[in-house]
Amino acid sequence: MTEKRYGMVYDSNKCIGCQSCNVACRAENKVPDGVSRLQVWIEGPRGKFPNLTMDFHRQSCVMCEKAPCVPVCPTGASYINKDGVAMVDIKKCVGCKYCIVACPYQARFVNPQTGAADKCTFCYESRVVQGMKPACVSACPTNALTFGDLNDSKSEVRVVLGKQYTVKPKEHLGTKPKLRTIPNWRGGEV
Amino acid sequence: MDTVWGNAAQYSEVYWGWPIAVYLFLAGLSAGALMTALLVKWIEGNETQPWDGLIKAGALLSPPTIMLGLALLIVDLSRPTAFYQLMIHYQLTSVMSIGVVLLIVYTPLSLLFSAGIFKKILSSHDFSAAWFKPLVPFLNRFEKIRSIEGIMFAFAIGIAIYTGFLLSALVAKPLLNVAVLPLLFLVSSLSAGIAANILLGLTVFRSTVAKDNLKFLLALDLRVIPFEMFILFLLFAGLYFHGGSYVAVADAALTAGIWAKVFWIGVVGMGLLLPVAIAVTSLHGHVYKLQTVLLNSALALAGVLLLRLYILYAGQIFG
Repeated sequence: MTEKRYGMVYDSNKCIGCQSCNVACRAENKVPDGVSRLQVWIEGPRGKFPNLTMDFHRQSCVMCEKAPCVPVCPTGASYINKDGVAMVDIKKCVGCKYCIVACPYQARFVNPQTGAADKCTFCYESRVVQGMKPACVSACPTNALTFGDLNDSKSEVRVVLGKQYTVKPKEHLGTKPKLRTIPNWRGGEV
Repeated sequence: MDTVWGNAAQYSEVYWGWPIAVYLFLAGLSAGALMTALLVKWIEGNETQPWDGLIKAGALLSPPTIMLGLALLIVDLSRPTAFYQLMIHYQLTSVMSIGVVLLIVYTPLSLLFSAGIFKKILSSHDFSAAWFKPLVPFLNRFEKIRSIEGIMFAFAIGIAIYTGFLLSALVAKPLLNVAVLPLLFLVSSLSAGIAANILLGLTVFRSTVAKDNLKFLLALDLRVIPFEMFILFLLFAGLYFHGGSYVAVADAALTAGIWAKVFWIGVVGMGLLLPVAIAVTSLHGHVYKLQTVLLNSALALAGVLLLRLYILYAGQIFG
């Protein structure tokens, strides 16, 4: 059994598309140029001037509990650790790219420096095990990101989930993502 | 258009490119050539030497095609020097890992079949006798195993089918995540094997190809190819009846851009309809024109390669 079940809530209504998370992620994880573990895609504007709204989408790993990237890996390099975080063991990775094509969320890529599959890790090794939050969560200026242990009913993330309607991306695939999104409730559709 | 969120190339990259498609083709061809050779060998009167040219063609084709395919596969890894990890760690939830197990058994089996067919030549010629002769007792021991050819055939089926499962295991790719894909790959592998054995048999081993055996393979191909067309029909009909996003994917795969052209002109027109048309109009009766048979086989073979390219690229692009 997992000891913790780390999860995140992304509030697309609080997000302003500033890319602070994106930049913090690059700096923290030394992500090479040309590839990303995390981006915020800005869609829109929707609606009619002056009532315009943007849609924001966090493009990163959604930390599935039933992750399609794990069973396809031929060596076990792609795995979910004891705290529920999907990780890549670079030493075991041969770079077959099976996990990359299996991921329904386009969350993975080939790291041009190591040749191995790479992805968001919730900053597990560099920050979370030391009690810090992932770099993107700490850097967000509007508190659009909430992180914590889904097993702990008093954690911040559980409090937000208890109050807000959230969406699991591509829920119909049965992947059970632990990254939930609070969808746009500000309107904008004409 | 400039974006503020950075380079987005990784989100539209086709990660499994042509080397994988060519591998899928070569693995299927190897398995198909071996199956075809065995089917001919099992016909009464063909079980002993001298071997029919169509058997020799399969024996000559099967080992190099699978080994070339495996070389392509390793070169295509983004960490090619770590490939040995595939042989240390096994994960049987992964079709790729199951494939490694199958290949580890199948590749030596195909070499064994080849060595058995060419035993006489290899042990009598100067260039090979020195290293081949010591292996003969070992080879003879294997050939005494009564079911060895059945095992070879079963592993050949396994290789052809696993290449289909490799793609159909991708849950988020509607064109690939279909139940008939492994069957499609098995049937088209057999078709490729028949075509390749005829092509090589009639060019390299022509004097030893018996007419009845050629007729048997041509007749078999004329059943295999229509069955392949039926499976393709099932695949797309299934997507349309599935509804929702599957319909959009089927529409795109059949009408959009270069890959739709590859499908209709290359896979269906050149690889399936034309060979059937040629077979029905000029390959019946007892007189075959050599050029017609060769053209027919070359078309079918090219069609199988294009099918792998189409399925792999369209499957990843439209999803």
